[in-house]
Amino acid sequence: MAGVRLFGTMGAEASFREEDFFGREEELSALMRAATEGARGIGSSFMIYGPPNIGKTSLLLKLAHDLRSSPGDGGPPRPFPFYFSFSQILSHPLALSQHFLQEFLLQLLRFLGDPQPAAFDPETMCDRLATYGFTGCREILAAHTKYTSAGDGLSALVNALSFPFAAGGDLFYPVFLFDDFQYTGKLQSIPDGAMLSILRPYIKSGHYPMLLSGSSPGRVTASLKREGLFGTFQMLEVGGLSPEASLRLWGHLCERRRVGIPAPLLPRASERLGRIPVYQRMLVEEMFFRNVRVDDAVGLENLYALSVTEGKLNRYWREFFENTFPDRLRRGRAIRFLKRVLCDRFPLDTVEGALSLLSASAAEGEEILSAFEFKGLMKADLDQLTFVGDPVLADFLFWAFERGVLGKGGSQVASSIVQARLSQAAPEPGQGVEHARRVATVKEMMRKWDPREVPLLLFDYRRFRDKFGGKGLLEVVIGMERETARVRLPKITSVSTGYRAHRGGPRFDFDLVAYGFLEGDFSEQNLVLWAVDVVAEKNLAARGVEHFENRCRLLALEKGLPAERLRKWMILEETTDPAAMDLASQYGIHLSHPTQLRLFLNLFGLEELEREPEGPRPPAGAAPAGEKPLEYELVLPMKADSEVVAARVAESVAAFASVDPDTVDRIKMAVIEACINAFEHSASASGKVRLRYLLTPEKIELFVQDDGMGFRAGKTPEESKRNRGWGLKLIRELVDDVEISTGPEGTVVRMVKFLAPGPGDPGPEPQGDGATPPAEGR
Amino acid sequence: MTGNLTIRTRAEGETVVVYVGGYLNSLLGEEVERVVRERFDSGVRRVLLHFGETRLVNSIGISFVIGIVEKVMEREGRMAFCEVSRINRDLFQVTGLSKYVPSFETEKDALEYLAGGT
Repeated sequence: MAGVRLFGTMGAEASFREEDFFGREEELSALMRAATEGARGIGSSFMIYGPPNIGKTSLLLKLAHDLRSSPGDGGPPRPFPFYFSFSQILSHPLALSQHFLQEFLLQLLRFLGDPQPAAFDPETMCDRLATYGFTGCREILAAHTKYTSAGDGLSALVNALSFPFAAGGDLFYPVFLFDDFQYTGKLQSIPDGAMLSILRPYIKSGHYPMLLSGSSPGRVTASLKREGLFGTFQMLEVGGLSPEASLRLWGHLCERRRVGIPAPLLPRASERLGRIPVYQRMLVEEMFFRNVRVDDAVGLENLYALSVTEGKLNRYWREFFENTFPDRLRRGRAIRFLKRVLCDRFPLDTVEGALSLLSASAAEGEEILSAFEFKGLMKADLDQLTFVGDPVLADFLFWAFERGVLGKGGSQVASSIVQARLSQAAPEPGQGVEHARRVATVKEMMRKWDPREVPLLLFDYRRFRDKFGGKGLLEVVIGMERETARVRLPKITSVSTGYRAHRGGPRFDFDLVAYGFLEGDFSEQNLVLWAVDVVAEKNLAARGVEHFENRCRLLALEKGLPAERLRKWMILEETTDPAAMDLASQYGIHLSHPTQLRLFLNLFGLEELEREPEGPRPPAGAAPAGEKPLEYELVLPMKADSEVVAARVAESVAAFASVDPDTVDRIKMAVIEACINAFEHSASASGKVRLRYLLTPEKIELFVQDDGMGFRAGKTPEESKRNRGWGLKLIRELVDDVEISTGPEGTVVRMVKFLAPGPGDPGPEPQGDGATPPAEGR
Repeated sequence: MTGNLTIRTRAEGETVVVYVGGYLNSLLGEEVERVVRERFDSGVRRVLLHFGETRLVNSIGISFVIGIVEKVMEREGRMAFCEVSRINRDLFQVTGLSKYVPSFETEKDALEYLAGGT
């Protein structure tokens, strides 16, 4: 049975770093007490349990380390901690028994001070052991060889497991640290609970400290009950670290990786990760490898959200689910189910309820629940189910659901996660007629922007004030013309008001978000976003700047934009605190005073509007009361394939409403057809088509407007010959309502797609071969 | 955006498989029509339009597909579609295309259909 050391135990021991272990003082002290009582022939038994990777193994290994390094009462017998980890790989009893024997011999020799054996040959190890006065080892090996040859797994296991109990003496006494004990219930051709039956007499004798650990307490306690051992065991649940230990761990991890998290943020960081050490380690690694700094709460939340949606925390749980549920469909079912329970807090505590929510066959449902239980994600006591409350897992499940089921992009999910965390900090945005008027003015101006250079002073309040404070307007205008420091404006294609980063969630509005392209070239590389707030308070304080910066970072995260392509601009009402100015300068936020704004408007031939303006052409359908619609506008040149840009914007708008992919496709197609019709038939003088997208929870409204002669509703004879003229028919099939109005100023096609079943919603299915005429739109 | 003009063909027995990638607009529609016409002129009578890589289709693109179907029918050829997305299936139904050309989930199924019978 010369063998090679293959599996688990050594790996777990090798990866354990004693210096990384923090906290758990109470648990350690209880276990240490139980272990040292073994010297007096008193053997307590513990069942240690908790979710996967909470730190159960580290706890056992730390105990083993402490037992080895502390002399106890000084004299013999000394405690010999024998750590053994069961695993899925060791499911064959012959393999398990052989590995168990080898591991025991090796650890005992090491304990006795024997130099590391060159080969893991059990017979050589037996001979080495004999030099320390331990006999009988050869006999055990001979018996084991006999059982192995006969293929008698159970006898081999009894033989191997009994050996350590006979090995103690005056010099030492064994302390059994059996890890991942749940795997002993899954041995091949061995009845469930056989392992405990073998150990039963030793446990019952009350002489051997026996610490079992596993993620599946339900399964193990059921076995304990069957063996009449349940009362003998003390249950010890392992959860997150204490707040204080978690803080100490941050300090240690950050120092090792030479990264820093500001001290005031550490409690928040601990809570975010449920004070689970492995997560803390991963987040610090994430900081290190991404080379990011965490300066404030938003930075922390962004880093966390990135990690849980595409980084280490994500990989950790993704691999966990892939290993636990190799079948893709089953994995999807398990994730959807857990998402409902952990994220949506679906009230559930019975097996029947769980099976019903799983919407799988009873057999499959039970297998999924059993896997959850086995992996420690769920406890089942007397049919009462309790699910693990792991905040990182909940966020991972949210990501998996949003991405897998709703098809959302990673950055969009990340921003939703950040937003949910920051919502409490958000002050109400400024409102009121005066505010709306100023916002509308800025919007109108931005729509006129083109790639020209303007004096940088228009965006830099501090320098502007220093240079022109107390001077007359004429002097200022002349001075501005001489300014050489200039900034290039982008060509703005769309400005949305009341921008909200996430529908249905807490409000994270900007007054304006503009999409622009540098150099007027419509390419991804040239895309810049301008986030604008028109300050509603008379005096801008540092807190307002902070809040704006937080939202900007969220927006950049959501859009996956590098920082330099998000421009931040705040327009003051009257004054600002020096601290706010400092902060704005630190964050790279442009600040403009109303005087600067007036100069700016002048550049574009505009003045501040006197009354609250209306949109260029208000839609026929009014937004529902109480809900401000999300609004986008887009102006497109009438040239080949511009309609694809319109379709992409429609897709982005629809994404805010969590619309299903099929409906998104329909909306995109309808927009494409309306654009093509305008391109082909409007004979527009300006050569432009204007699009508006209005999103409310109930519906998405799309307006395609041209300044031409009208919409071609039917087929011309020429079109019939060329199989053309399908546009309007398709649009009517694709959306729920179509309205075409033509007037002297051009034509507007209004298309409505209801997002929730509402009055007159005919559903998404087509009506069959186009034979049934669609509802008339006009 | 003309980079969307992606088309590739492959001969499978007596069938030509045309993979229509990207945005099926007038440019791509014309190209598909040209490719099919050339194959027809060289004697191919079975055509499979593969829409697995088609991201968008507009009504002009559909009109070209209708034109192709008409030509294939005129010359007593045989035609099928495969891997058509749900939205495009709906559009084919609205325009009546699905009455004349069967759609298959997979290329293999479509090729089997085209290979069998006349």
